[in-house]
Amino acid sequence: MKWREIVEPAILFAVLAVFWEKGVALFGIKPYLLPPLSKVLETFWQGRGMLLQQSWITLGEIVGGFLWAVAGGLALGLAIFAWPFMRRTLYPVIVLFQGLPKVALAPIFVIWFGYGLASKVLMAFLFAFFPVVVGTLGGLAGTPEHLLEHFRAIRASATTTFVRLRIPSALPSIMDGCKTAMPLAVIGAIVGEFVGSENGLGHLILEANANARTDLMFAALFAISILAGLLYVLVELAAKRVWWRAL
Amino acid sequence: MAGAVAAAPAIRLGAVQKTFGGSADGVRALEGVSFEVPQGEFVSVLGPSGCGKSTLLRIIAGLITPDAGGAVEVMGRAQSAPSDEVGGVFQTHNLLPWLTVEKNIRLAADVRGLPAAEIERRLEDILPVLKLDAFRRLYPHQLSGGMRQRAALGQMLVLLPQLLLLDEPFGALDALTRDQLNVELLRLWQDMRKTVLLITHSIPEAIFLSDRVLVMSDRPGRIVDDVRIELPRPRNSQATKEDPAFGRYVVYLEKCMGVA
Repeated sequence: MKWREIVEPAILFAVLAVFWEKGVALFGIKPYLLPPLSKVLETFWQGRGMLLQQSWITLGEIVGGFLWAVAGGLALGLAIFAWPFMRRTLYPVIVLFQGLPKVALAPIFVIWFGYGLASKVLMAFLFAFFPVVVGTLGGLAGTPEHLLEHFRAIRASATTTFVRLRIPSALPSIMDGCKTAMPLAVIGAIVGEFVGSENGLGHLILEANANARTDLMFAALFAISILAGLLYVLVELAAKRVWWRAL
Repeated sequence: MAGAVAAAPAIRLGAVQKTFGGSADGVRALEGVSFEVPQGEFVSVLGPSGCGKSTLLRIIAGLITPDAGGAVEVMGRAQSAPSDEVGGVFQTHNLLPWLTVEKNIRLAADVRGLPAAEIERRLEDILPVLKLDAFRRLYPHQLSGGMRQRAALGQMLVLLPQLLLLDEPFGALDALTRDQLNVELLRLWQDMRKTVLLITHSIPEAIFLSDRVLVMSDRPGRIVDDVRIELPRPRNSQATKEDPAFGRYVVYLEKCMGVA
């Protein structure tokens, strides 16, 4: 039922909105702690030009980091899968690195790469690449045995087997990795902006915080979640093109 | 084809043995398996599950190597690697889920680098024979189980193999579909006159289809009986199964396999 997919979440959002708006008044919450929803929406609308501008900057960081994460994750996954030497050396390094709190690296990146785009793209990349590696590795290793045997039976070369069997059968798992990576790239970009930046939505939140503009902080949060939501939908649409699951 | 090669048996096995794992503590799957299948014959291998039937088939297909000492010849040549002369259909079909029926069937020919016109010609031959004409643009998940197995047959036929190895190709299907496909398989074989080695654990299926039935023992697999099926051809589902001889073969083979 198509209409339910629209109506049901809309009702939930409406209920939450009313709860927020009325709750703030009912419990007498101070506006600098939590402004009423109407105030946030008003700020959002008044500042729409500026929010769009800041969103544009953050979007560039996220997309840049995400694309690097997909490309890098694919390359690393392929290398680790195809080259036992890499599995013995690179893979443990990546896994160990994964355990590091990447937030702690952000200040170093600011020192190395400055306050501009590069350090944010790098943060987004670092947050997002690991699921792509895991998805690529798992997908490549999961090629069904009987299909590999079939390719041996028709005497396909290693390259043909890789291109026509292993890659397509790994694609669903790679797409899962990309879906996980997308929100992580958003987090990475915002973390990067928090630690050192001159603009972007993360920077805007810090600035609004310094000026005790809680309404503007929430407006910026709205912008981030809209951005993240749209990006995720885009990745999901791309992933839908890979509809098969290896049998 | 040269006379000498044409006269060679399609399959000749001499004392074939296969042990999985180490030779000392490994599991022996096959022991001293010897038989010949002349070209054009339809032979079934009947045996309990886990008796090494599939191993046998994979050895003949050149997909696994038997223990040293045995001889495996296909069309008069030692078989050590897969060749275009042998085509196999296994219980789990080998259709790629991201390709249409048509693309799945042409895959092997594409991979072997056959000329496009030749592939087209073969495709137009195969699709109607397998009644897949109308479904050529569908994906495997859109097909019924029976159609999937027919497409799997097409996948094998596109390389025009002389020897067809069928490992319970219809084993996962319901009884009715299975019977239907067996009748179609028989018709296909009667038209093409290729050699077929079919693995099955269904006694009626083996009798209905075959010129000969080889009975295998439980592990380690050995050929314990070689029964010639003298039922007249062409066979059809009803007349053949009503033939009193059919019943006698069933009883005999059941005894062979230890069914009370």
